[in-house]
Amino acid sequence: MSDYTIIGKRMPRVDSRAKVMGKAKFTADLKLPGMLVGKIKRSPYAHARILNIDTSKAEALPGVKSVVTGKDTEGVKWGVFAYTRDQEFIQTQKVRYIGDEVAGVAAVDEETALKALDLIEVDYEELPPVFDPMEAMASQTELIHEEFPNNVNVHVNIDTGNVDENFEKAYYIREDTYVAPEESYFQAEPYAIVARFDHEDCLEVWCPNGGPHMKSKPLSNAFKIPLHKVKIKKITIGGAFGGRSEICPVDYICALLAKKTNKPVKIEFTREENTIATRQGHAMITTHKTGVDKDGKVLARETTCYMDGGAYSSTGPIATSVPFLSMEQVYRMESVRYNGYRIYTNKPIRGMIRTHGRGFACGLDTQLDMIADHLGIDPVEMRLRNCRKPGEYTSTKSYVDSCAMDETIHKAVEKSGWKEKWGKLPPFHGIGIGTNSVQTGFPMGIRGGSQSFIKFNEDGEATVMSGVVDNGQGNDNMLVQIAAEELGLLPEDIHLVSADTETTSSDPGSYSQVSTFVGGHAVQIAARNCKKKLFGVAAKVLKVKPDTLAAKNRLIFVKNDPEKSIPIKKVVRISLLNFTSVNAEGGYWPKVDMTREWVKNPYGQMCEAFSFGTTIVEVKVDPDTGQVEVLEVTAAQDVGYGLNPLVLEGQFEGALTMGGQGGMLTEYHEWKDGRCLNPTMLDYKLPLACDMPKINNIIVESIDPKGPYGAKEAGMSIAMSAAQGYSAAVSNAIGVYMDSFPLTPDKILTAIKKKKQQSEKK
Amino acid sequence: MRLPRFDYLEPANLEETLDLLSTHRDDVKILAGGTDLLVRMKKGLLKPKKLISLKALDELSYIKEENGVIKIGSRTSLSDIIHSNLIQKKAEALFQACEKIGAVTIQHCRGTIGGNILQDNRCHHYNQSEFHRSGRQACHKDGGKICYARDEADRCNSTCQSDGATALMAIGANLTLAQKGGERTVDLDNFYTTDGIMPFAMESHELLKEIAIPIQGAKSAYKRLAYRSAIDYPIVCAGVLLKPSDTDKNKIADARIVVGAMGRAPLFLAKASSSLKGKNLTDKDAFKNAADISMNSAAPFAVHNVGATLEYRCDMVFEMVFQALEQAAIAVKK
Repeated sequence: MSDYTIIGKRMPRVDSRAKVMGKAKFTADLKLPGMLVGKIKRSPYAHARILNIDTSKAEALPGVKSVVTGKDTEGVKWGVFAYTRDQEFIQTQKVRYIGDEVAGVAAVDEETALKALDLIEVDYEELPPVFDPMEAMASQTELIHEEFPNNVNVHVNIDTGNVDENFEKAYYIREDTYVAPEESYFQAEPYAIVARFDHEDCLEVWCPNGGPHMKSKPLSNAFKIPLHKVKIKKITIGGAFGGRSEICPVDYICALLAKKTNKPVKIEFTREENTIATRQGHAMITTHKTGVDKDGKVLARETTCYMDGGAYSSTGPIATSVPFLSMEQVYRMESVRYNGYRIYTNKPIRGMIRTHGRGFACGLDTQLDMIADHLGIDPVEMRLRNCRKPGEYTSTKSYVDSCAMDETIHKAVEKSGWKEKWGKLPPFHGIGIGTNSVQTGFPMGIRGGSQSFIKFNEDGEATVMSGVVDNGQGNDNMLVQIAAEELGLLPEDIHLVSADTETTSSDPGSYSQVSTFVGGHAVQIAARNCKKKLFGVAAKVLKVKPDTLAAKNRLIFVKNDPEKSIPIKKVVRISLLNFTSVNAEGGYWPKVDMTREWVKNPYGQMCEAFSFGTTIVEVKVDPDTGQVEVLEVTAAQDVGYGLNPLVLEGQFEGALTMGGQGGMLTEYHEWKDGRCLNPTMLDYKLPLACDMPKINNIIVESIDPKGPYGAKEAGMSIAMSAAQGYSAAVSNAIGVYMDSFPLTPDKILTAIKKKKQQSEKK
Repeated sequence: MRLPRFDYLEPANLEETLDLLSTHRDDVKILAGGTDLLVRMKKGLLKPKKLISLKALDELSYIKEENGVIKIGSRTSLSDIIHSNLIQKKAEALFQACEKIGAVTIQHCRGTIGGNILQDNRCHHYNQSEFHRSGRQACHKDGGKICYARDEADRCNSTCQSDGATALMAIGANLTLAQKGGERTVDLDNFYTTDGIMPFAMESHELLKEIAIPIQGAKSAYKRLAYRSAIDYPIVCAGVLLKPSDTDKNKIADARIVVGAMGRAPLFLAKASSSLKGKNLTDKDAFKNAADISMNSAAPFAVHNVGATLEYRCDMVFEMVFQALEQAAIAVKK
């Protein structure tokens, strides 16, 4: 492994300099000639019937170029799956949450556009709203979507059989319920989009996205234009976290306004819109009933999860499944029954978020700690007895190849000093462990694979084309690193063309954690194909066989006789002069079970690789204020192979911030009648750099046999184990197992008081 | 979000400023650092026709000691206060409060002490966008007749979350308010109305010119609670002052306890304060008793409107007061 030149090295990202110098251009920075400002009129009611929309006054306002309503959409509806198309791009009948789109305006400037919004008169008939998923299921009032009885949007049922029998055999059984509220992404960049129709009637779009090809197809469908006429362009992106993968109404509205006005239109979201009118993470109420044998081995588990899905389906079936999948991947269970219900409420739409399974997985680990406590088993030992091993199948029949779960536990335990600390820390000082596993991809049908194209220029430098998008996690750098390694060039010799639907081939997007595994893989294969062509020409010049050659530092040389070499540039020129192509392509399609479906058939090979990890957290709780001071966090993650430790560490730390420090301690929404009371960064308590604890990053490498260089998912998963580790540490510090997340000081204080009262009674 | 249109005025000195204020009165607002004002304007909570910038008024930026009084110009930056030896040594509570305001960059580049004292009251039902406030009745502070924070409330219950004001009230500061042709001095204790709509007893043509703090041979301390270590308003805070007896250094001659972020104004708690008179500086039970009285006195003023649960905030009054008293006592003993 060590003979890589560029791969595996701590290489500063190719995009860093432009970003820190302020040169990188984001969508909001774009200015096109004649560009108009677009704004969205949103529902101020959580649930209401639209009686009439009068846009005449707005249209008459000087400077207003177009006003669009649901009438202009021809009833097009959006949903990730054919069976979940429940969201009109602009509502015509009803509004279902505060923020639902009812009209769009394009005007010469922002002031005029905002004035026009005020002039649009919408008559509503208010309907009784429902904000709580359990109430929504029992609600006798008008359904949020009439086709969905009891407001149940999705029901996922998974049953491996033998659950009841195994509960009979169990030595100890317990049932606990855990609650976690919704959460928001707070990408550094609020959502923005620029759309225009060019002189060939092609729709050009710039926007932060989780995969350009995932945006282009729905737009092509909605506007009934061929796919090649939808050009999603590359632009710097300030974060996605799953929240920008789907097309959303504003994409359609912006393009529609551009079409109507024949001018470029830009819509920039306010921070509030970014919070309430994109996506949020689901709120969850989860009950686990777990039966174990005397040694703590899980024999049977029954899990029921009620998820607050908000007003529309979004990625409903996936969201309702992923929490279960994370659980079944990380721990072995002899038998399991899962019922996940996604319920409509009159709240903002919930979709993908990196920690899809925060509340869920978190409760699972807490319960495991409770069981371990009862049986007198150390939490680490409890994990070692139940955690996933390589060569096994998950409960839903996915084969797990590479898996260094054990190693991540051992390394995190050693680094954190667990053995010296567990059970030996002073009062209100605690340590806790959390684990994670995330799938590297899932069956995505026609868009499951990625293809790359590489062309050499006559100066010996190369242009690499890939559909992979960089949301900020470092994908661009990953592609360049792989191409440079394989082609024997330096990173600066590679020009990357990516995330552009006009020039790059179909790709799953930065979605389901496959950018490296699938997209990077495709580049690796394309580069190897390209290199083969160069070696063919070089071999003739050097009078050796092609398979004796290697490429490094812009040279092709004989492996056993490195002095015998020729510059790549020269090989390229000789090739071109001899009518030989120096371009190549490559593609990668993961071998997954394409019949696997979220609701109808949740069994079969999910993906080719899974990542695994452990996070250990040490905290001190102030018993007087309930505030938590995080002393140290250790994250060990089996990433397959660390392509760039520098980037990985950034991902680890970001995940700990989002899933642990923020997700478990300070971040939560407050509501009043469906209105979000803290949609801004001031009031939604995202941790700041100065709030973060000391972090130990440990990269564990299991060299996945399928992944490029052995790499697999690496960045997202730690948010999950972080959440679990944080909650376990706080629970350990105060001696109470917490069942309501996040762990805000008031809850911690209440738990401490309650425990004190109970012990005083005794 | 964009700022509504306004005319920008930049007077060259105090006299010009007071002239402009007297001419334009309710049509203008003073722009010092802008960290509170501009955010409110962006949310459409305030639409002044004109802003008077204090940019050129360096004459209002000073910290000095004169005849046993610390005088601070209202436009003095928070950073200057934090770095002042005089404040660090003789107005500890103010130093500790200013350190917690915003973040280092805000303290250095923008925030002023005058702006911090005069920051508007806040409420999570009120400090919202125009969109958020649409589709429901306007609240008292927004020109309506309803309070979303307390049912049936006949007036606005917005909360004063100024760190600076809480600390300054504890150390007995007074304010000099200037207007064209004159000025007046008012104790911070008497500077507040009982209505959250306009919390300050101050006319629109008046300008906060100076903050004066008497040096009284006492020690002060400030404690606050927030969810984040920076860029966060306090959810509860306390400023205290302990003055030892001239005859017995271990006895408390006088005490002031002020609790902030719990009501429409910082709350000077007379009963809790006087409970400490004559008590020993090492008397923890007395501090606990004072903190307990503080909690009971402050709790009825608070509503659930600045994040965190109301019960938690009320409980934490005890903690903040107790911790501040302990800290001040240690300072006295030194």
